[in-house]
Amino acid sequence: MADDDPADALAAVAALRRLADRLEDSAVEQAMRTGWSWPQVAEALGVTRQAVHKKHAKRLIAAGVTLRRRG
Amino acid sequence: MSAFDRYLHAVLLAAEAEAREDGSAAMEARHALLAVAAQDGTEPQRVLAAAGLGRAELKAALDREFAHSLGAAGVAPGAFDLRATPDPGRRPPFGASLRLALDRMAGAHRKRDLTPLHLLDALLQAEVGTVPRALGLAGVDRAALAARVREAL
Repeated sequence: MADDDPADALAAVAALRRLADRLEDSAVEQAMRTGWSWPQVAEALGVTRQAVHKKHAKRLIAAGVTLRRRG
Repeated sequence: MSAFDRYLHAVLLAAEAEAREDGSAAMEARHALLAVAAQDGTEPQRVLAAAGLGRAELKAALDREFAHSLGAAGVAPGAFDLRATPDPGRRPPFGASLRLALDRMAGAHRKRDLTPLHLLDALLQAEVGTVPRALGLAGVDRAALAARVREAL
């Protein structure tokens, strides 16, 4: 990390947040496609089931992923 | 609806699509800049093109900034599978950087004086953040570009 340049360090934080968001979209989709349930995905991410459902359900339904309700 | 309102509406719709495609949680200044570059037959598009900046060139510059900034944290974006199906119906909200640019524009001019170039001007005024970093990495003199936009206003 370029400790001497705050601009690089701050931009790295912003980029890591973007990367984490995109990685979450990809990883949740992958998990649900391979038969994981919402409670399992939520627990693995360390968030509530409601949060993960609210954030991803519409997208995955539109993507044609078959969603399992229970673990 | 004024000509400027119609222009702004078209830009925001295109910016929304850019944000969706980008998997971004919100519409940011970088999405608006891509949208401005994609509005055919408009003055801001001509000014950007004269500086060698079409939508594709700006997108490439923004992608380089993303990779470069991750690199500063020792992360290579190519190491991850980021494929995800975007939600075609999602309406990403206004992000902080876009809101700032719009506030800057609205604060500096009377509404009836606004033209498409004022929006580009506002997007180019940011001195820190993704857009100026991307332009800098692409070798674009942002201050000179902003000055040309000002002259054309």
